[in-house]
Amino acid sequence: MTTTERHPIRGAEAAAKQVSPSTAPKKRKRISTAEKKRRRAGWLMITPSVIHVGLWTLIPVIATFYLSFTDYGIFEAPKWIWFDNYVEMFNDAVFMQSIGNTVWYTFWTVPVSMAVAVVVAVLLNQGFKLQKFYRTAFFLPQVTATVAIAMVWLWIFNPQYGLLNAMLETLGIPGQAWLVDPQWALPAVILVGAWQGIGIKMLIYIAALQNIDESLYEAASLDGASSIRKFFSITVPMLKPATFFVFIISIIGAFQVFDQIYVLTDGGPANATTMMTYEVYRSAFQEFRMGMASAQSVVLFAFLLFVTLISRRVTKEED
Amino acid sequence: MTLPTIKALAISEQVTVVPRKRWFHHAKGRQAALINVALILGSVTMLVPFLWMVLTSLKSPAELAQFPPTFFPQEWMFSNYAATLDAAPFGLYFRNSFVIATTHTLITVVLGSMAGYALARIYFKGREAIFLAFIAMLMIPTYTKIVPQFLLVKFMPLFGGNDILGQGGSGWLDTWWALIIPGGLSASAIFLFRQFYLSLPKDLEEAARIDGLGEFRIFAQIYTPLIKPAIATVGLLTFQESWNNFLWPLLVTTSSDLRVIQVGLAVFQQLDNTQWQYLMAGTTMATVPMVVLFIFAQKYFIQGFTNAGIK
Repeated sequence: MTTTERHPIRGAEAAAKQVSPSTAPKKRKRISTAEKKRRRAGWLMITPSVIHVGLWTLIPVIATFYLSFTDYGIFEAPKWIWFDNYVEMFNDAVFMQSIGNTVWYTFWTVPVSMAVAVVVAVLLNQGFKLQKFYRTAFFLPQVTATVAIAMVWLWIFNPQYGLLNAMLETLGIPGQAWLVDPQWALPAVILVGAWQGIGIKMLIYIAALQNIDESLYEAASLDGASSIRKFFSITVPMLKPATFFVFIISIIGAFQVFDQIYVLTDGGPANATTMMTYEVYRSAFQEFRMGMASAQSVVLFAFLLFVTLISRRVTKEED
Repeated sequence: MTLPTIKALAISEQVTVVPRKRWFHHAKGRQAALINVALILGSVTMLVPFLWMVLTSLKSPAELAQFPPTFFPQEWMFSNYAATLDAAPFGLYFRNSFVIATTHTLITVVLGSMAGYALARIYFKGREAIFLAFIAMLMIPTYTKIVPQFLLVKFMPLFGGNDILGQGGSGWLDTWWALIIPGGLSASAIFLFRQFYLSLPKDLEEAARIDGLGEFRIFAQIYTPLIKPAIATVGLLTFQESWNNFLWPLLVTTSSDLRVIQVGLAVFQQLDNTQWQYLMAGTTMATVPMVVLFIFAQKYFIQGFTNAGIK
């Protein structure tokens, strides 16, 4: 991996810069009819996509920022209220709690699943016979729907008949009410998030491990280094760019957790598991306060933008 | 592939094949055995919820009311599946999801590959600007556009009783349009296609041009056949994402006829949350297609996920 390819945004920027030079125009010559035809074909090919992305992404983003400064309940026209939504939001204990919950959820799911993922990736990279089976097992939660998976966990966490409490019981640990206990609900949600998030991180780590030069390990073996030593002195440093990439996309993903909250807890009990996304959903589609929902989603966007910018800073300094 | 997460393609090629070194090159016998045990334990932890889902779906209500629970069903109640289909129209939900996911995949592959080709291989005025705009759009999180997207659907002019200004009716709400059109294409699919087309050599198009082929034929007959694996990758990811999508169908549909399977599951759980054997049977039905698809097309999925970063 070259330095520009290890970060999503930077990779994209680099791709933008390398706009294929071969097809760039050769100075300002008269354009032949064949060339004109090509250009027209190019436009024809891209127009449907431009319209689609423009209508369903560009306009909505602009509208979100606009609506965040309005009071808008769908039935009357939006009323411009400057920063009232933002002021109200930051005085709203529930929204503040949702920020706290989101950060807490991210703080636990991301490192835990990253740690498991890197260990599994390294072990899988040894090339065992059952390797394909292992990879499938760890990756399966990623391809199946979050709603379906959350449904299964809802059953596992069932306080009366659930598998988890049964297993704890056999170990002599008293069961918990999990999702209905304000103290345990968020940890339970975090457990599901971490469990589901391992697969994708593992894949990226496996890809990165493939790129480590085998000769480094051979040289270390000749010097008599142990496997553990090799892991910490070769593998860990060589995985740094991948770790960084995984870290960023995981944070962005974790901040947008929604489906499992909807199924598992509905944000409860007592708002113990409500997330920023869930508050956006509630404001917009339960209270029909489109302006407020937009303002909340702008704050969510600001968080993600902040993470992205910081990450760019850090990579730049490293280069 | 909604996230701002495009991984440059550099690492993708190597992802799929983990070289099959003989284990004893890397680990001595006992160590290898230990690692295998650890991996098996880990895999089982990952698979237990799936196994539990299937086993629960085959138990009787009386058995489910036991604590501690039995692991395997005392009596295998395959009739639970028929009963589940009677309790809620999962067949219809299943069909709806399938229709939507297939349509999304077709639209994405056709429009996305055309756009990707144009961005990669044709020079036209404004191309760079369009490309940069697509990249910027890639980074927009779902929740920063969902409210206006809903409003656009609601106020779609001349549909669902709306007048030309989009007032008076319900627009595209609770219609196939809302389920199919907005999610039909993503900037990330276009970006991935562009990268694939960019990696192909230029001589082909020059030769084709000399032969007098038009641009659309060069696209359809020369270049696109060369990126079949990319089409499979993007197509499968689109299908998977569409099948698993929950929030959007939840927002734009109300009638049971248009419910997709994920929403159908959630509604079923809310209405009738004590019948765990039926709920798990429904969940199994919602999960199995993706599991099967994944097992058979693992190579493409893995390549796609490594490229697209995260779902």
